[in-house]
Order: sequence, then C-alpha cells, then structure tokens
Amino acid sequence: MGETVVKLENMVKRYGDLIALDHFSLEIQAGEIFGLLGPNGSGKTTTINCLLSLLSYDKGEIEIFGKKMSPTAYDIKQQIGIIMQEVAVFDELSVYENIDYFCGLYIHDKETRKQYVEDAIRFVGLEDFVKFRPKKLSGGLLRRLNIACGIAHKPKLIILDEPTVAVDPQSRNKILEGIAELNRNGATVIYTSHYMEEVEQLCTHIVIMDKGKKIAEGTKDELKRMIKNTETVTIEILELPEAVREEIGRLPHIYETEYKDDRFTVRCSGGKHNLIRILDVLKQNDLSFGRVYTELPTLNDVFLEITGKSLRDKED
Amino acid sequence: MFLHNLKYEMKAGLRNRELVIWLILFPMFLGTVFKIAFGSIYEKVDSFSVIPCAVVEDGGEDAALRQVLDSVSEGEDALLKVQYVSAEEADDLLREGEVSGILTADGRLSLTVTEEGLAQTVLRSFAGQYNTNRSVITDSAAENPQAVQQVIESLRAELSPVKDVPLTKGNTDYMVQYFTNLLAMVAMYGSLTGLHITIQNQGNLSKLGARKCCSPTPKSVSICACLTGSAIMQTICMVISVSFLSFILKIRFGGNPALIYLTAILGGLLGVAFGFCIGSIGRFQTGTKTGICFGVSMFCCFCSGLMVGNMKSVVARYAPWFNRINPAALITDSLYYLNIDSDYQRYAVAVISMAVLSAVLILLGFILTRRKKYASL
Repeated sequence: MGETVVKLENMVKRYGDLIALDHFSLEIQAGEIFGLLGPNGSGKTTTINCLLSLLSYDKGEIEIFGKKMSPTAYDIKQQIGIIMQEVAVFDELSVYENIDYFCGLYIHDKETRKQYVEDAIRFVGLEDFVKFRPKKLSGGLLRRLNIACGIAHKPKLIILDEPTVAVDPQSRNKILEGIAELNRNGATVIYTSHYMEEVEQLCTHIVIMDKGKKIAEGTKDELKRMIKNTETVTIEILELPEAVREEIGRLPHIYETEYKDDRFTVRCSGGKHNLIRILDVLKQNDLSFGRVYTELPTLNDVFLEITGKSLRDKED
Repeated sequence: MFLHNLKYEMKAGLRNRELVIWLILFPMFLGTVFKIAFGSIYEKVDSFSVIPCAVVEDGGEDAALRQVLDSVSEGEDALLKVQYVSAEEADDLLREGEVSGILTADGRLSLTVTEEGLAQTVLRSFAGQYNTNRSVITDSAAENPQAVQQVIESLRAELSPVKDVPLTKGNTDYMVQYFTNLLAMVAMYGSLTGLHITIQNQGNLSKLGARKCCSPTPKSVSICACLTGSAIMQTICMVISVSFLSFILKIRFGGNPALIYLTAILGGLLGVAFGFCIGSIGRFQTGTKTGICFGVSMFCCFCSGLMVGNMKSVVARYAPWFNRINPAALITDSLYYLNIDSDYQRYAVAVISMAVLSAVLILLGFILTRRKKYASL
C-alpha cells in the first residue's frame, strides 16, 4: 500500500458543448479496489477510456505506474488488464482460443501462456466450455469469458467497466468474488458501476461522480459519515393522521418524514432508540401497523443528499 | 506476435460464415447463373465455326460435289463437317440434332433443316452458291481442276462474312467479359475483408478494436498480420473462383492460365487494399463504412460492365480517367489484355497499375489508422 498506481490530474473532456469530464482528478494506490460510482452518463467510461489512451482529451495529465500514459506506452499497457462493459471477443473462436489470443497479445512465451490460459479458465469456471463458441454461451458465461480474456495475462492493474450489467445474480456474485480474489492476489482494481450495492460490497476506496465531476471521495464509512442520515425507519401502516405524523416529526434526531403508498418513512440523524420512540407514539394514538424495518444509510443516500437526486433514477 | 495474430486472424476468417458465402458460394452461384443464361448463346456461336451437316447423294456419288465439300471441310478454317449418309440416316441425324441440316444432291443441291439459325443460313448460302456455279464445277472437274479451285475460293469468300474471323488466338466470345467481371466482383468483395481489418483494429469502430488498442501489441503489427491474413484468404477465394469457372463451368478466359491466376490474386489484393483504405477514412461508424464500401465496390463493378456489358466503353468515352483508377476495370482490363493481346505490353501496364494502386491504398490506410486516439468512442 502507499504506491500511487494511477494519477489523473485536472482532466477535461468535451463532446461539443457537453463537458464529459470537468477538471476531474483522482489517485489510486496499489492494492486498492477503487470504485468509480455514478449514474449513467456521469463520465465513468469516459474516464476509463482516457486512462487507457483510447480517447483524446482537452486538458489534464495521466500517469500510470509513475509514467505518462500514451497510445504507444506499451510497457504500461503490458501491466493493465481491461474488461469492458460490452463483451469483446471473436465469435468465430472457441473459449480457449479467445483467451489464448488475448493472452498472446501480452505473453509471448508459449509454455507460460498455456499455463496462464488454463489458470484463467479455472478462475472463471469455464472448464466445461473450452471448446464452445461464444454464441453457444449464456449471458453470464459470456461475461466470464470476457473477464478471462482481460485477466489471463495476470496484470497488476485491472480495470472493470461495469462488468455486471445485464448479468444474472448468480453470475454477478461469481464475478464479484473473482474480483475480490484478484485483488487478494495482488492486483489493483478499478471498478466502475452504477450499482451502489456492488461498489459498497467490493470497494475499499470510492469516488462518486456526477456530470463529469467528483462529488465525494473516501471509504464507504467515510462517505456515509459525510451525510446527516444515520438511520431510515420504514413502517407499513394503512392509516396515518397528519397530526400523528407531525408529532413524530417533532421527536429528537428526526429530520424528515414521508407517508406514501401506505408506507411511513422516517429519516433520523444520530441518536439512539429512535425506533422505540416512533412506535410509542403510534401506540399512544391507537394506530395498528404492519411490518417495521430500519436501514443504515447507503451510498444512494450519500448521492441523494449531495446531488438531490437518486443514483437509481437513471438506471437501465 | 505477428504470427500469433496471423494464426488467429486466419482461424477467425476461415470460420466466418458470411465471408464464405459472399466470397466463395455467391460467385459460384452467380457464375452458374451466367453460364445457364449465356451458355446456349455461347454454344451456338462456338459451333458456328464448323457446321455439321449430312450429305445425301440421291443420284449416286457426285465427284465434283465431293471435291468441293472436301475442300471446305479441311484445314483449320474448315466451314463444314460433312457426313455422307443415306436419306434415312440423315433424317435421324437431323432429328437428334447431330447435324444442322441435310444437303441433298440430286442434280441440284437442296437443303433440309428443322430450325432456323446462323448455321442454317450458312448452309443455305453454300447450297445457293454451289447451284449457281454448278455448271462451271461440273464442266471443269475433269479437264480444268484449277477452275474448280477458283470457284471454291470464291465460295469461301462469299461465306466468310458470316464466319468468325479470328483477330487473336484468345477467346473472342463476347460473353467472357461477364465472367471476367464476375472475377472482378469477387476481388472487390475483398474490400469487405479489408474493411474488417480496420473495424478490428480501431477502438472507435468495435469493442474488439478497443481491446486490441489497450494491449501492448503495436497497431502496425496487428494491422500487418490482419492484412496478411486477409490477403491469404482472398487469394484462396480467387483461386477457388478461377478454378470453378475454368474447370467446372469450362469458361475459356484465354491467355496463359498461370497469369490468369496471378491476375485474379493481384485483383483480390487490390480489393483488400481498397476496403482497408475506405475503412480508415473518416469518423463514420461501422455500419456506414460497410455501406460505403459495398456501394463503392458495386459501383466500380457496374462501371466495369458487370451489369451492363458496354458500360466500360461508355465510361471510356465520357470519363476515361475513371477506368484507369477503377479497381474493377483494372482487373477486367488485365484479363482482357491477357486474352486478346499476343504480347504482354498492355497487360503488364494494367498489372503494374493494380500493384501500385494497392500499395498506395495500403500506405494511406496505415497512415490514417496508426497511433490514433479517438475523439469519441
């Protein structure tokens, strides 16, 4: 830990009048699983494409492993593995051939490559499908092949751009477990997603971005401490008089109440025993209620509080 | 690195179903359609040079007639192929289509035919000329053979306008141009494999291209491997097409067979280079580039006469410069010169033009694609 693997400084990227990256900077340390979280169109993929020297940019500097990144920085590219949002494999080649092809772009020694390819196949669990063509694979298996093609050469820096979009839950869990394992094996990981649960589960350091800007950065706990919400209580209740709702709203540490679709939501900021005090008020007013549950703040709450909109608003 | 790329480029290419359909099966199908459509015309024209006919001598053997018939049935420029048979046998031969007509000698020479055509016209003309000169022939046959020979010469001269006069040792059949244009079309379809090279190596055209651009393999190496792979595949397709047309459909392109293969292969490389260059120009998306490539290729084939036979002459009249840069026209011209010319001067110029144009297009494609960052992906 401590060595800076990736450094982006003051990046600006425009598409005509649209500013995709607006003076965006970040630093990623070795050994991190770095999460880039933001809604669709927030600039995550643009950041990754600039990082990989695929996209030109208007302003800024990019260093990877302490060296300036460029299209011909082959020594840097040698140490990077990329897993794109869309599956990028040859339809005409088998699973084994695809992995061997992409691994061969990095590893020249045949024996080493053979070992690496077999390791990658084992890692993503495609042992039973090595002779299959991509068209014969399910969506989840195809994603795993995509990942195997990106990591077979055992890179030090792995970039995953929304690798779980349109993936079934079982394959998604398998992918997330795999990423954690790659990190345990020593790789630094950059993970972009608009699924906050994944980022929360996986990432040790998170940057939340919106409209090409960094709006928050830190560990998930640090991010959650940035906002006043500490607990959200939800009660299923068929009838809630306005007077009772106001009474609850006046309780200490409660800063927001909402009654919609027979659900009463109460947001609390600090304090203890908030739930007991809320239920006491309901009982005193002879109101019967159904299911009651509390939630700790999520990254969505962080995003909501900072930007005034939900991360999920623009989900696919 | 180069060989690794080449190996998988070849594997992927040879397993590509679309490539096999458009570059191998479709030309075979179209060639067969051409053969069926033009075959009967071709055979009639071909058989016109020697006309099979039956001769029936009702009044016994006619020495003078035999002398004339023998003289027009001999040598490289023979007009007739004569069979002396009985009336019944002659009827059978005519009914079975073995002969084009029956010449019956009974004092005068009369003609029996079952259909009308060029062969029948020649036979009718022969019979008429013979009857006109019959007395000269009969009277002179024994005493003055030289006079008979003069009549025969004049007979030949009368009939020569309706007989092919070969200006070349090649195949002068008009229909051959459709098959040379077919080869040009296969070569121009190579532009699709050439386009495929840019799609697979440019990050803004495909995800596969983006992934390759992220690897430490220099783009020049990857493109060279892809170009080599495409050239090999296109060569295979051209060899299959030429072989299919020559050996299965029995099309005679004329000229040295090895040079026909060489020309077709070079044409295929020109097609690949053309597609590679088109793919490298501009910031269009894959679909647009494919459309442009296909459209331009077809336009070039149209201008060289694939759909309308005399189109190349029309272009030569109004925009002669275009025939000199149109890849399809260069290919058909090369094959034409190879067929028609007795020396290789014009052929060499056309082939060198193809090679130079290929080199220029590849160079241009390289310059436009290498070390590129994209404005948008």
